[in-house]
Amino acid sequence: MSDSIKANIRQWTKQNAEFTDGAARRHWNDADIHWGVFHIPESEIGSLPDVDGLDVVELGCGTAYFSARLARLGARPVGVDPTPAQLATARRMQQETGIEFLLVEAPGEAVPLPDASFDLALSEYGASLWADPAKWIPEASRLLRSGGRLVFLTNSVLVYLCAPEVGVVTEQLQRPQFGMYRIKWPEGDGIEYHLAHGDWIKLLRANGFEIEALHELRPSADAVDPGYYDFVTVEWARKWPAEEIWVARKR
Amino acid sequence: MTSPEPIAANIAAWTKRNAEYTDPSAARAWASTEVRWGKFGGPEAELDVLGDVSGLDVVELGCGTAFMSARLARLGARVVGVDPTPAQLETARRMQRETGIEFPLVEAPGEAVPLPDASFDLAISEHGAAAWADPHRWLPEAHRLLRPGGRLAFLHTSPLAYCCFPAVGQVTEQLQRSYFDLHRVSWPGDDGVEYQLGHGEWIALLCETGFAIERLIELQAPESAVTHAYYSDVPAEWARRWPDEEIWVAWKA
Repeated sequence: MSDSIKANIRQWTKQNAEFTDGAARRHWNDADIHWGVFHIPESEIGSLPDVDGLDVVELGCGTAYFSARLARLGARPVGVDPTPAQLATARRMQQETGIEFLLVEAPGEAVPLPDASFDLALSEYGASLWADPAKWIPEASRLLRSGGRLVFLTNSVLVYLCAPEVGVVTEQLQRPQFGMYRIKWPEGDGIEYHLAHGDWIKLLRANGFEIEALHELRPSADAVDPGYYDFVTVEWARKWPAEEIWVARKR
Repeated sequence: MTSPEPIAANIAAWTKRNAEYTDPSAARAWASTEVRWGKFGGPEAELDVLGDVSGLDVVELGCGTAFMSARLARLGARVVGVDPTPAQLETARRMQRETGIEFPLVEAPGEAVPLPDASFDLAISEHGAAAWADPHRWLPEAHRLLRPGGRLAFLHTSPLAYCCFPAVGQVTEQLQRSYFDLHRVSWPGDDGVEYQLGHGEWIALLCETGFAIERLIELQAPESAVTHAYYSDVPAEWARRWPDEEIWVAWKA
């Protein structure tokens, strides 16, 4: 297992104890599909196909609330995550709610599931931020059937460029765009991966995907500042995209 | 602020810039045979944006003094240069006579090109229509002009650079304007109207128009780059760290 996978398991074991375990019941009970720290409704974005009857794999599912929401809509999800503590929380929530689906302990970089077995591969701040894109994008491609879709949410390039070492995103370019790929912030153990848009397009196409959409998220004027994930304010995110969703289709 | 009709405003802006820079520099631009991209001269030989153009029908939308078309003509392309600014086309015609490299020049904006459907293999724009024409109108025109499978390649200033330009002066390291509201940008003391979209909006518009996305090349100035003498609003140092220009490549699906 690579150092970054180990570091991210450490990081998310800690964050699960701090936040995602405690928030799991609320997240599982919320049936609406929405995206990102400003909870922008999927109905406003339209990034997902009709998931009823689809085989869905969520790469980096954490406590698997997103998979649970898709299961309620008729999808057959499989949740994949490398962090045992988050999967334990997910299993507890499955028992509590009766919404059961397969959970697999694995990083996005190496998923022990068969080729061409899914219609939709999804990552909501999972593999999309915490797995090495040079490895998880080929895995997503392998897992999808021809015509299947990949949808993932991650931080925007502008957040990467304007985030200070510690604290809330600024209006100043803090680091170069050229050379961006992997970053470890001073706070926390985790390793994040951030690609420029041109590099995402290149990587996706090299792995058999056609680009369908890039949704650069803008919260509504009445949105509220995020709670736990407080890297950005509404005021900033109204002017510059803080989060983005890529949609690609496997050829 | 009054908003003059953008096509007329851009003709006025480029008539002035032609007198100031593009006319006096036309002989040099036409003499250079190498295809390069952007103000820091990213070499086509490395970027491989266009591939082999020999034998292709090429339309350049917003050709200015048509030096890019001339370079492609030298490589065996059958080019047509399209530009709305009579003064720049006059310069282009003078250079055609001087060099003997002749190809049709059409006076028209990228928004409405009087050329037949499905008659080109490649549509290009190098800070032409890609910066100065309304993308909701010129992209459909490019699509109409291309044959199925034909390619579109265009260069313009990056949305990041637009976000970091102050009202007057050189690009900064500070976010100066909203990314979500670029669309039409005008500068104090300049009549021109520039168009820019966010990357997600470009992808949406290209796909809606019937293009498939091939590449987005975010250009980096090389170590040896020096700040451009005329287009001096982006110091080479900035462009070594952040993309100040970018090339979209798409094909007619």
